[in-house]
Amino acid sequence: MIVTKNLTKIFQDKKRGEIRAVDSVNIECKPGRVFGLLGLNGAGKTSLMRVLSTILKPTSGTARVAGCDIINEPEKVKEKIGFLSSDTGLYHRLTAEETVSYFGRLNGIGEDKLKNRVDEIFERFDMNEFRKRRVDKLSTGMKQKISIARTFINDPEVLILDEPTIGLDVVTSRGIIQFIRESKQANECILFSTHVMWEAQKLCDDIAIIHQGKILEVGTLDELRARTGLNDLDDIFVKIVGE
Amino acid sequence: MLETLRDRRTLISTILIPIILFPVLMFGMSAVVMTMMKKTEAETTQIAVIGEEFASSFISFLLEGDDFQKVNVEDFKSALKEKEIHAALEFPSDFEKELAQGENSEATIYYDGAEIRSSIAKEKLSGELKDYQDSVVTERLRERNIEKSILHPIKINKENLAPKEKMGGFMLGMFLPYMIVILAMVGAMYPAIDLTAGEKERGTLETILVTPVSRLDIATGKFLTVLTASVITIILATVSMSVSAGLGLGQMREFGPEPVSFVIRPLSILLLFLLMLPLAALFSSALLSVSLFAKSYKEAQSYVSPLMFVVILPAMINFIPGIELNWGLAFVPIVNISLAAREVLLGTFHWEFIGLIFVSTFLYASFSIFVTKRLFEKEEVLFKT
Repeated sequence: MIVTKNLTKIFQDKKRGEIRAVDSVNIECKPGRVFGLLGLNGAGKTSLMRVLSTILKPTSGTARVAGCDIINEPEKVKEKIGFLSSDTGLYHRLTAEETVSYFGRLNGIGEDKLKNRVDEIFERFDMNEFRKRRVDKLSTGMKQKISIARTFINDPEVLILDEPTIGLDVVTSRGIIQFIRESKQANECILFSTHVMWEAQKLCDDIAIIHQGKILEVGTLDELRARTGLNDLDDIFVKIVGE
Repeated sequence: MLETLRDRRTLISTILIPIILFPVLMFGMSAVVMTMMKKTEAETTQIAVIGEEFASSFISFLLEGDDFQKVNVEDFKSALKEKEIHAALEFPSDFEKELAQGENSEATIYYDGAEIRSSIAKEKLSGELKDYQDSVVTERLRERNIEKSILHPIKINKENLAPKEKMGGFMLGMFLPYMIVILAMVGAMYPAIDLTAGEKERGTLETILVTPVSRLDIATGKFLTVLTASVITIILATVSMSVSAGLGLGQMREFGPEPVSFVIRPLSILLLFLLMLPLAALFSSALLSVSLFAKSYKEAQSYVSPLMFVVILPAMINFIPGIELNWGLAFVPIVNISLAAREVLLGTFHWEFIGLIFVSTFLYASFSIFVTKRLFEKEEVLFKT
């Protein structure tokens, strides 16, 4: 569950002055639903997600993620979320197994439980084939699987996925979409950002359109259709953002 | 840590360089220098002689061995410039006549002071001329029935009271602190860049930041990894240095008549190591802080390079003669460690300075670690775009 309250993040830029990357955002993502965040590049998607995952501190406002306050309990929030973005890389010189175990330890999983948890993850994501191989020797798809496994090691209640399919081939993106669907079945709360409209149309239960840090519209696809009188999400998006 | 261990750049700078550097420096350098010197000395020196007919007995004496070879040239000055000859000798027309009459004469050596070989030729020639002069003097004294020893009424004895280990320490004391300080820096450099700018570049920093580990723990982990690399470098450098110093003994002895020993006391090594610890901590945190500002590995390298000079210059303090450790210098970072390291290697232990230097470097390191910690909490630094 994610609930934000007037969440704002302002950056100070020497050249451009004050940038309101996230501007008074109020959204609510419920368990068992996929909440899609749609926006152009630079709309504030990444900043919002970084604030929610407590990597960045909000300038004002706050949010509760999985029942914990992002300002006062950042460590607890991190224990309960899985964060994946196109920017989160892997250690190239570790093997697949070492990577997953390492992040397990960082998430406070004790050595006694770690082995079982890692086995379980490798089984679930079908990664035993390249378990002992070094990450830099693996294909993009395999790496993406390890990233997902890494995101899942702490059995998160909330998934924050920042454009997870960007730059991936069709097969690998399908894998990720499949994984989002499974997580939804498992009653997890998923916040998912993208600028690929058909992905959002296929996956998302709720859609928010973010532009220049502000949420312009929130609703189900049908609600958005009703409000704009348009059928395709990309038409809806252009209409809302263009206005 | 494991990740760092698998980084080839780190492996080379942390482990390979200190192990190989000292033996190479001690054996290699001395061997190369000595071979070069012997080779140059053994080489036949090409000379031109002006007024050869006026000094025929000296010239035949000179050309007896293989050391000198006479070259006939038209203009000795241009021949010297073109390196056709190493030096030229000129005799006045009455050279032999004057000597035979018991009078004084002269000889001129022309050489090129900017050419090593020419300078060596000059030394060799003047040596030969002195020998010849000696034989003339001996002959003249004999004619007058005078003992040659009358020329040397005082026999000057020189005895070096410095113990062998001090002689060794004196020579090592100049180079070793310098080398170890630099290596402590180099050993920390690549891991520091890799763990900050390198991780930013590969996106792993963000991955680490979303784990429920506090920024302080992340900064501490990185600092300890870099410190470990630096300390390993120091240990390896110290061991390698002691071993090669022990083995290098025989070779260095050939440089001079003085017996030189490189026995370094275990206490000296221990103290040297203890003094280096806070310095390694200072380097580690400073390097982490600087490279954390960079967005990429390359950018970090360009930030760190100027730092290298900041370290090299004060580390060279021991090359300046006459600078001794005092209360003021004991507070100057790097300079104090270099000076103290030399004293320690020489077997002199000024405990009050050693304590002060340890404490002051420790304080600098603590401050630097504090800065590093603060930087790891700054979003602008971590997510610089």
